[in-house]
Amino acid sequence: MADEKAGRSVPKPSVYVDTAPFWEGAKAGKLVLQFCKDTKQFQHYPRPVSIYTGSRNLEWRQVSGKGTIYACTVIRVPGPGLEGRLPLSVATVLLDEGVRILGNILNVDPGAVAIGKRVELTWDRLSDEVQYPAFQLV
Amino acid sequence: MTRTKRDVVIAGYSETAIDFKTGRSAYDLGGEAFAKLLAATGIAKDAIDGLSVTAPLSECPNPFFAVYMTEALGMTPTWLNYGGTGGCSATGGVARAASAIRDGHCEVAVVLSADAPSTAWRANYGAYRSEFQDPPGVQGPPATFGLLMSRYDHRFGIKPEALGKIAITQRQHALHNENAYAKFKTPITMADYEKSRVIADPLRLLDCVMFCDGANAFLVTTEERARGLGITKMVYPTAYAEVTNFNGNQPLAEITETGFSQVAPRVYKQSGLTPKDIRMFQPYDDFTIAVMMKFEDFGFCKRGQGSDFTLDTDLSYKGALPLNTGGGQISAGQPGLASGGLNLAEAVRQMFGEGGGRQVASPNNALVTGIGVIPYARNWGISAAMILEA
Repeated sequence: MADEKAGRSVPKPSVYVDTAPFWEGAKAGKLVLQFCKDTKQFQHYPRPVSIYTGSRNLEWRQVSGKGTIYACTVIRVPGPGLEGRLPLSVATVLLDEGVRILGNILNVDPGAVAIGKRVELTWDRLSDEVQYPAFQLV
Repeated sequence: MTRTKRDVVIAGYSETAIDFKTGRSAYDLGGEAFAKLLAATGIAKDAIDGLSVTAPLSECPNPFFAVYMTEALGMTPTWLNYGGTGGCSATGGVARAASAIRDGHCEVAVVLSADAPSTAWRANYGAYRSEFQDPPGVQGPPATFGLLMSRYDHRFGIKPEALGKIAITQRQHALHNENAYAKFKTPITMADYEKSRVIADPLRLLDCVMFCDGANAFLVTTEERARGLGITKMVYPTAYAEVTNFNGNQPLAEITETGFSQVAPRVYKQSGLTPKDIRMFQPYDDFTIAVMMKFEDFGFCKRGQGSDFTLDTDLSYKGALPLNTGGGQISAGQPGLASGGLNLAEAVRQMFGEGGGRQVASPNNALVTGIGVIPYARNWGISAAMILEA
């Protein structure tokens, strides 16, 4: 298992906007996403402003990690960072809080993943210190 | 019909051969396309006072690529545009040149797209990708298109043989294209399509483009000036529309609804044409599903009927709706971000009656599209369309 993960690169946080709450949340096992306080809507990936209003009246809130598969595919060809991960199940998940997020569906035969299936949060370990949100079928 | 714009024309086109790992630069390929354009139109270099250049993957670390290109070509333009809309930069460059000409910034413009990503890939999209797109393994367009196809299939159903027919038809057309990548000049069958490797379910290898190197160029000026320069072959870009980041403030919008749903009515309104009037379709074809979805967006069939329409329609150059008659990018090769010019060049070539073994009869108009940039978990970032009329 350790060998399989050797090729995973660990992203540097906050390279384009401040994403520290996402990474700190992940460290604590919580999925924390950006939230527009004016419209009471989440947005993901994080932005410099609210995509609804253009204001910076944003905060970070924890979400349940429960959701439904909106779209799904299985990556089958090698590429950077994919070593030891193929076939790799990828889905767009619609979280119950009303925000879509890309994530891997772990611990499952990719053939069992389908649009409409319920998922819950799990964690993909990128390194000894860093874990990344992923999902598994409920 | 009186609203139709017929003052500005595309008065010439040129294209290099498409090839893989040429070892050449965008400057060298662009220079070849430029020289060919001068030869094709018979005009002197110094008659050109406007230039639109497409930002290439292979030279994009240089923010002054367009300026460097003017030096490379020995040009002194009074209007310079640097097109950053990817596969929309060619049609968009023509539209912007037309506006610049109408505003008096220049009189004779060249729209030049050259790229060599199979020789030198230098793009780094930066932004959110390392934190939010790379970790789940969504590194290139195929994964995003696999997701898009899954959603389309869920809503409407995809008949794989329809996507196969698009690939096979375009490959057949590439056989007649002297500029197509040589290795693609072999016919393919439905069995080949069905056997081709799955890249990202349900996307197959033969649904996809391959990065190559190449360049193309267009001459844009007023009809009056073109005739003054002794040019007799020209087409009228009577309609152009684009939209970027469609549904950009609606992240929960259905991803099978694309920017073309907004662009299509605009180009039909500007030109006064309707879907049944379109003589040939030269859509940007990074993936076969994008072609099929555009059949729907442009009203050739209803939403969700793309598979049946594809299977029921003769899409060959002799058919009811000739499709990417030069093979498109999928079968001629995708010259990086110069790719949008490939579909446009084929449209102009056909309308000039220079289609050779793939010439469309009565080529009185063409609908061309562009697609630019693959965003986070949606369809595509920019949708553009242009109608050319004789």
